[in-house]
Amino acid sequence: MIKLVNVNLAYNGETVFENFSLEVKKGAKAIILGKSSLGKSSLFFLILGFVTPDRGKVFFDGNLVDEKSVWDIRKKVAYVDQDVSIGDGNVSRWLDFVSHLKANGSVGFEKNKVKDFLDFFELSVNVLGKDVSELSGGERQRLAIIASVLLERKVFILDEVTSSLDKHLRRKVVHYFVERDDWTVVVISHDTVWLNNPRVKVFDLEVGKWRQ
Amino acid sequence: METVNISIFSLALTFLLLAVPIFLSLIFDIGLIKALFNSVVRMSIQLILIGVFLKYLFLWNNTLVNLLWLSVMVLVAVFSAVRGFSMKISKVLVPVFLSFSIATFIIILYLNVIIIRLDYVFDARYLVVLGGMLLGNSLRGNIVGIAAFYKNIKKDSKKFLYALSLGASLHEALLPYLRQSVQLALKPTLASMATMGIVALPGMMTGVILGGANPEVAIKYQIMIMIAIVTSTTASVVLTILMTMRVCFTKYGTLKTEIFVGNSSF
Repeated sequence: MIKLVNVNLAYNGETVFENFSLEVKKGAKAIILGKSSLGKSSLFFLILGFVTPDRGKVFFDGNLVDEKSVWDIRKKVAYVDQDVSIGDGNVSRWLDFVSHLKANGSVGFEKNKVKDFLDFFELSVNVLGKDVSELSGGERQRLAIIASVLLERKVFILDEVTSSLDKHLRRKVVHYFVERDDWTVVVISHDTVWLNNPRVKVFDLEVGKWRQ
Repeated sequence: METVNISIFSLALTFLLLAVPIFLSLIFDIGLIKALFNSVVRMSIQLILIGVFLKYLFLWNNTLVNLLWLSVMVLVAVFSAVRGFSMKISKVLVPVFLSFSIATFIIILYLNVIIIRLDYVFDARYLVVLGGMLLGNSLRGNIVGIAAFYKNIKKDSKKFLYALSLGASLHEALLPYLRQSVQLALKPTLASMATMGIVALPGMMTGVILGGANPEVAIKYQIMIMIAIVTSTTASVVLTILMTMRVCFTKYGTLKTEIFVGNSSF
């Protein structure tokens, strides 16, 4: 599903990747471990076409990530970033912005579905009327997760999305993503709940290999 | 009624007024004198030159020369604007020039042909004076608006990239920033319009009244020019964003950092 082949990437003169290769198969659940947060985020940016490799190739679902394909690839990937950059302003207005993008069918999220998910991830319906800036880090993370799921995409790349949640909620989130066989899920996290899950494969960025 | 002329000798007497700021600067050690001298000299020389130039421009009143001069005014405005955006002129000269030209020329033509109904549409007096007012006023709005547009995208780069990751087209991802920057650009103009005539007598009115027209005519011109300024500011900010967008973003939808002056990495 996601494949990097012999990628070189430098950022501000600093080498991030050198001859780096990685393959994540369809339906796999993978966690990326590594010291350099630049390296981890750059990996996701390469998949989304926010940075381009100096050398080597990046593939998504068999297609080379280039200036043409990248726009379609972004419609197939659900990405949640580390800082949960869901902007500012009213929460339901933000959900409207997400659902009304042309790529997402411009239909809007079904109200009952949104409520079910809020309920499942233990958020009050009241958050919909709040301003994003009023939410706690954990509430923002859960909202971004809900939006990513509502988009009904099959590939998820999640950057530290459980860092502000308590253990109970972390288990719930991990379980939710890991149990879907047809979903390909790649996460950046230090969380042992991801690490210790038997279905999650661990990729060590430092050595560039999967852990056995 | 003609405007009372000021003799050269009298004009020289105005410079005596400068004794006040010089005196104050000396007493309180404000350190104003050098800057004051520099600015006064520059202003005087520039205005004398433009006075001579305008005299001949009005005398010849040649369509080609008039249009050429208006283009020079647009070009100067473009350079000044792009410096305000902190962008490299070589990268954005063409799109900003096109945007400013379209927004200025069309509105002036509308005013001269449909509102004022000039017999000679490219009359230097109207073309140059109206052009100057439109450019001068929309310039400030453009600098504020366009600089904020790109600055916000750089500052909120994560939010912007997140919108792209959701599958937004470049237009969709930029729309919130466009809205913000147009609102910001228009704020001063809208505020000054709302207090116009009460707080301050605007320059155009002062000019027309001193020029010998009655206040009724002055007011009509003032209303016309204010509406033209709002229109040209809105149009030029939106057009400049739409046109610079093509050169300031990569085909992947990310902002090109090399467009900007100085190091401005994400």
